[in-house]
Amino acid sequence: MSDQQNGPATDVETLSSPNRLSSEGSASEATMPETQPSPPGAMEYDYTNFYFGAGEDPFALIGPFDDWWRAVKPGGYYLYELPLHSAPSTRVDVEDTKTHEVRRGLVNFASYNYLGLSYRPEVKQAIKDAVDIYGGGASGSPILSGTTDLHRRFADELAAFKKKEAALIFPTGYSANVGTIAGLMRSGDLIVADQYAHASVVDGMILSKANSRFFRHNKVEDLNKKLADFPGKKLVVVEGVYSMDGDQPPLADIVEVCRKHSARLMIDEAHSAFLFGENGRGVVESQGLEDEVDIHLGTFSKSLGGQGGYIAGSAQMINYIRGFSRSRFFSCALSPVVVAGLRKALELAQREPELRAKLWHNVAFMMAKLADHGVPVGDTTSQVIPIMVRDDARIFQMAEEVFRGGVFINPVKYPAVGKHKSRFRMSISAAHTEEELDRGADIIIGVLKRYGVCR
Amino acid sequence: MPVGKYCFSTGVSAFFEMATADARGVIPAYLQPIEVRHQRSVLTVTAFLFEDSVVGPYTELMFAVVVPPMVEEWGHHAKAGFFPFLMATSSAEARRLRAERYHFPYSDQDIDAQFIETPERLRVRAWGGGQPIVDFSVTQGAWESTSHLLQSFAGYGKARYRANVQISGQYTVHENERGSMILYPHEFTRAIAPSEVAPYPFREHWLKNGTEVFHSLETF
Repeated sequence: MSDQQNGPATDVETLSSPNRLSSEGSASEATMPETQPSPPGAMEYDYTNFYFGAGEDPFALIGPFDDWWRAVKPGGYYLYELPLHSAPSTRVDVEDTKTHEVRRGLVNFASYNYLGLSYRPEVKQAIKDAVDIYGGGASGSPILSGTTDLHRRFADELAAFKKKEAALIFPTGYSANVGTIAGLMRSGDLIVADQYAHASVVDGMILSKANSRFFRHNKVEDLNKKLADFPGKKLVVVEGVYSMDGDQPPLADIVEVCRKHSARLMIDEAHSAFLFGENGRGVVESQGLEDEVDIHLGTFSKSLGGQGGYIAGSAQMINYIRGFSRSRFFSCALSPVVVAGLRKALELAQREPELRAKLWHNVAFMMAKLADHGVPVGDTTSQVIPIMVRDDARIFQMAEEVFRGGVFINPVKYPAVGKHKSRFRMSISAAHTEEELDRGADIIIGVLKRYGVCR
Repeated sequence: MPVGKYCFSTGVSAFFEMATADARGVIPAYLQPIEVRHQRSVLTVTAFLFEDSVVGPYTELMFAVVVPPMVEEWGHHAKAGFFPFLMATSSAEARRLRAERYHFPYSDQDIDAQFIETPERLRVRAWGGGQPIVDFSVTQGAWESTSHLLQSFAGYGKARYRANVQISGQYTVHENERGSMILYPHEFTRAIAPSEVAPYPFREHWLKNGTEVFHSLETF
């Protein structure tokens, strides 16, 4: 479906030439020659087909991968890593690297800015003020010279917010999971994670060298089996909201099984901290189990609209992880400028519970709209709404039409999710207006209807 | 160069997580099992109902571990590789021919197999020597025509072999975890610990009315 058929959904600015971008640091992408349409079969391959390859040369897969990538990129893979030309607000300007145009004013369902805090004037001002004092970066590991008074205050404020004895700040959510899991568990121990746990959980398990098992998603009886008869130290890892499905764990049952097997429990609330519960303390608060979980992990890049990760819990546990989390120990500390913005964002998240109320209103509004049209959304109970397309062969076509129609939303297909579980992952924000939700949903539903995904 | 073409009416291949330690135990040291998760490799259980071949109709059952294919230039690079560690057929002539041609590790026993098809599910039950080997099923997804280039590996003495295999036909695949499997204690399943194999496939393939074309065997 062309833009003409759809009507001029958004303003489109044609970039003067692909080379314009080369001066902006994207030369490799922009100067890539246009390829012919994908040869037959190319779209049936995916990243997994180039991950392993037998032979002697570590570079042997690079050439075949590059040839494949050039063949399939115009078919839909170009839709990933599209450069934004604006803040990640509810309307965004996005560069279309296939047509070399900037599509302006797209309704944004792709960013994680769940409370709309990343571009709030108060947050931006706090960042500007910090730049004048601290400059751009921390210039050191947190254990050497990278910790500022802002870091210390923020960690204390975060611990107070979570009602825990202490908190520890990491440069990213990824490093928080990797550093915490590998910092705590050792060879011979056992880690059991939900099969849908984030890659950073899995990488932490690998780095720890502990025995690793995965239980079927949210199936407590399988968790029970995986923990049974293991005599050593045991850690169970679940998420507060699963990032591809938007559903939550049955935490009370999981806590019970962990107690039965003397396993410690860690929860990654990357997509639920600052959102769930009366005070925003996460799924542990909304499910009434704040004191039953041993390690509370979260990120600052989603609800607070910044960057970084944290863990919260007992002071002794935090002190131990501080000493043994290599991903934090050997990384530069989070920029004090970012920390300044996060402090203000945390303050706003606490001071304005109406933000959470507005988010849940928006989620209900969108869910009702999607239900009216029979759009399949899986088992979501959160602001992450998976629009289940289940058509791996055509999801990129649909995504291209949605994008050109005026919506920025990420298509997700194998291997990020299972085969024939392709979907659009819709992220709702408190900052969306009903008009934006309506308009964005109409565009998506229009495309889904043409492909027979909904009525 | 294609050297053998086998027409099947029904085929099924189910992918199960298995312990990587067990996978390493059934493949040669020069191959590595692909891990679908940390310390979890992939056992494939495959059954074909061949209706037309040089030896006539027969049934084949294969247990294999998924391994990386040898790297080839794009256009010739196989989607996946597999190392069969135990195969069996209902026809002595079929396995004699395939063992000679491809050095696959066939059991000397004849097997019996039932393909029980309903609109939503295909169930396969196999016996060897009158004893049950496996009872597994896959479920239906969206049907499409497809053609996949795969690579099989085999060892014979100190020799290492590989062959490209093109499988074409009507095909459905999904990862909805609706299938099942019971592995029975049997010579066929002795090399793997059933307790360490998932009782359900994480990926379910169902094929109809297609062909399996073997290309010439190469040493490497």
